[in-house]
Amino acid sequence: MGEVFAGFRKSEVEGVPVLWLPDDRFKTFRIILAARRPLDETAAARSLLPSLLMQGTANYPDRPALARQMERLYGASVAPSTGKVGEAHVLRFFVDCVAGQFLPDQPDQLADGLGFLSEFLVRPRLEGDGYPKVAFERERLQAGHDARAIFDDRGAYASQQALSLACEGEPMAIPEHGGVEAIEALDRAAPEQAREDFLRHGELLVTAMGALPDGDAFTEHIAKFLRDLPERQAQEVPPPVARSVEGRRSSIERVDLQQSKMVLVFRLPPTDDPTVWMGRALFNSMLGGGPHSRLFREVREKRSLAYYAQAALDRHKSLLMVHVGLDEAASADVESETLRQIDLLAAGDFSAEELQTARAGVLSMIATLTDGIRSHMQFVEDQWNLGLDRTPEDLARNYAAITSEIVQGSVDGLQLDYSFLLAPSGQADD
Amino acid sequence: MTDRFEIHQDPVLGEQVLLARTSSGLPVRVVPTDRFTEVAAVITFGYGSTDLGFQRNGEEHRSPEGVAHYLEHKLFEDEELQAFDRFAKRGARVNAMTGFGQTTYYFTATDQLEANLQDLLHLVSNAHITPDNVEKERGIIAQEIRMYEDSPDYRGFFDFLGCLYREHPVRHPVGGTVESIAEITDEELLACFDAFYRTGNAGMAVAGPVDPDQILDLAEACTLREGAAPERLSPRDLGPVTTPSFRRSFDVARSRVLLGYKDRSLLDTSEERLRRDLLSRILLDSLFGASSDLRETLRLQGLVDDTLGASYMSEADFGVTAVGCECEEPETVIERLQDVMLDAASSPIQVEHLDRVGRMVLGSYVRSFASVKGMAFSHAKEALRGTRPFQSLVRMNSITIDDLVSRRSEHFVEDAFAAVVVEKDASDPIR
Repeated sequence: MGEVFAGFRKSEVEGVPVLWLPDDRFKTFRIILAARRPLDETAAARSLLPSLLMQGTANYPDRPALARQMERLYGASVAPSTGKVGEAHVLRFFVDCVAGQFLPDQPDQLADGLGFLSEFLVRPRLEGDGYPKVAFERERLQAGHDARAIFDDRGAYASQQALSLACEGEPMAIPEHGGVEAIEALDRAAPEQAREDFLRHGELLVTAMGALPDGDAFTEHIAKFLRDLPERQAQEVPPPVARSVEGRRSSIERVDLQQSKMVLVFRLPPTDDPTVWMGRALFNSMLGGGPHSRLFREVREKRSLAYYAQAALDRHKSLLMVHVGLDEAASADVESETLRQIDLLAAGDFSAEELQTARAGVLSMIATLTDGIRSHMQFVEDQWNLGLDRTPEDLARNYAAITSEIVQGSVDGLQLDYSFLLAPSGQADD
Repeated sequence: MTDRFEIHQDPVLGEQVLLARTSSGLPVRVVPTDRFTEVAAVITFGYGSTDLGFQRNGEEHRSPEGVAHYLEHKLFEDEELQAFDRFAKRGARVNAMTGFGQTTYYFTATDQLEANLQDLLHLVSNAHITPDNVEKERGIIAQEIRMYEDSPDYRGFFDFLGCLYREHPVRHPVGGTVESIAEITDEELLACFDAFYRTGNAGMAVAGPVDPDQILDLAEACTLREGAAPERLSPRDLGPVTTPSFRRSFDVARSRVLLGYKDRSLLDTSEERLRRDLLSRILLDSLFGASSDLRETLRLQGLVDDTLGASYMSEADFGVTAVGCECEEPETVIERLQDVMLDAASSPIQVEHLDRVGRMVLGSYVRSFASVKGMAFSHAKEALRGTRPFQSLVRMNSITIDDLVSRRSEHFVEDAFAAVVVEKDASDPIR
């Protein structure tokens, strides 16, 4: 048995760490190459990259040709994508296929799937130093439309606005799409420069799981896949910017809507201590992690102040956010009740039963991580980025040892930074 | 395992599903598998938002819109605690959903299967409904309705159904409106519960590391009332559309269109409907799927973008094809999309496409065994409908080009068509 990380096998192939787990419970396999870079002003160029790569490759010249190849691979998903993770920007190339042994004539789906994926990785369809002009202009226009259309999902829009206001001047304020103005200002060479930058300077990681061959057969496939990558000099993604809270800030934005959306952005002191974060996760669950939580029971069920009220942690940025759908008239009551519940929980005013319920939910979620290829791979990628070599079983054991005192102490320094309200137009602001 | 079950084995992977029926008539399916830690249990009832009228013992009963959804909310409350709390204490996740034709309750859990399943079955078998708790829920449901009404896609979707159907209740939002739910009383909810929450109008399925006999014993012990659903008083709304077009003013960043066709005929059996469903989906995939040259042409012309989507949905008494996207030129897009759907000569269905769809269906079939939740949902629905398990590949293999051509000419007809535009400043915001 070679090296192991978080229960996955660990290899280094072509200078890239590879974490993989053959698992015969599954009939499919999934392989991801991820590249992490700091979230910065190039976000718009990076976010445009997947749609440009999907316009065609050297061997599959247009979108229908790419789609037909996926259909021939028995409905495979093969694509690039980007995402914002705290103050990091992640480019992923993934392939998800049914394994050949379960198909007629047993095709080599692993070789075919990886071969197809490498089309996007190293054989983009370029004209000079950028993507074809017509495609670039069309996709840039589309990206601008998509960025504006977030407004049409009022909940998502409220979250985006709250974060950009609360974190103004910090990378976290940059939306994943980079912002409408940045999209409109893009030049044709920028997305290809972003691709090169991801591959040359990004922190790379390959994860894989499912119906994969054992032993060298798999790493040989991966070596072939990675061989064509450009020469690399990885740069570390810096830790997120930490800012102290100087009192509650707030704003109201008025638009045409019926149900107001409130987003409360709280800051937590940054820490890498996994025990503190487990305490915070249990705190979050008791506060607003589901129908058992204080926000659901007190705000929605007992006082009928809101239709939904949920809390969520962003570990990467040390934020706790509360999202509420409510009547505007109830907004002051909801905010004060949320703060009251936070104070009560932080003071240890919760029962052993409440803590046990929160723990049962977290343990159940951990127990099912390994039931899904995606969830298990995401867990392992997260552990890698956190530098924590632990399996889901380790994590469950650690959660079992979290005490009330740890939960209380985990939110020392929690402060409300920003209160954002998206409310109906035609009302007077105080 | 005893001989209480009828065993069905899937032809590709050899996976099994066990079929049984309780002595009170509840169809039960179990997928025992040790590949997963999680258990998913689902019970679905043939009662949804379109069931607004029924007849029992010679008496007609009419319901306000939104009653099935209201009832779903109320069944999560009983004499002791909020049901959510009990499941949460066991680390289980429980939820429910109401659709046009079904209401479905489910949980997923890794522990205490017996307590969780007993609880789920208790919830759907006993209604703790009082004037006070019905009143208390009204404000929460009104908030939920308002939240949906803030969605331009939701508003456009029900505008579209309203254009297609003059009388059929599918034209009404699943949750009703703030006005319609104001009419819902405890007596109304109890009458509907008594009528539709019955063993003969339900299907149950459990998947995961379970003992099938234990599941069947628990199903046997549940007190869900015996019997079939009452006769439904649903209008046969198969005539021409109510109105072929509608525009809605809404504060949107981008305009969107939704257009499509209603079925002008109904089919008698579930199997016939499933086949029609598959034909419709293949047809739409050939026209608007990712590999379609037609889609790419429309995209390159700047008429549609990646938001373009097409779907077919149906129940026993209605069927609808819907095609929609965000766009800059709604009128041109509607005209062009209608043209391509009506003009079979310009976009013929290719044999090669059918071959690739066959591969995708096989891939999707294999993938369907990767989730206990997915398996429990699909088997519960099949149990309710009474369809044989593992038939999707057989169904797919029976489809021919002629079938698709004939479905296209039957479904895409002029007087079954309607289109809706949702835009910032619609010129005639009627209705």
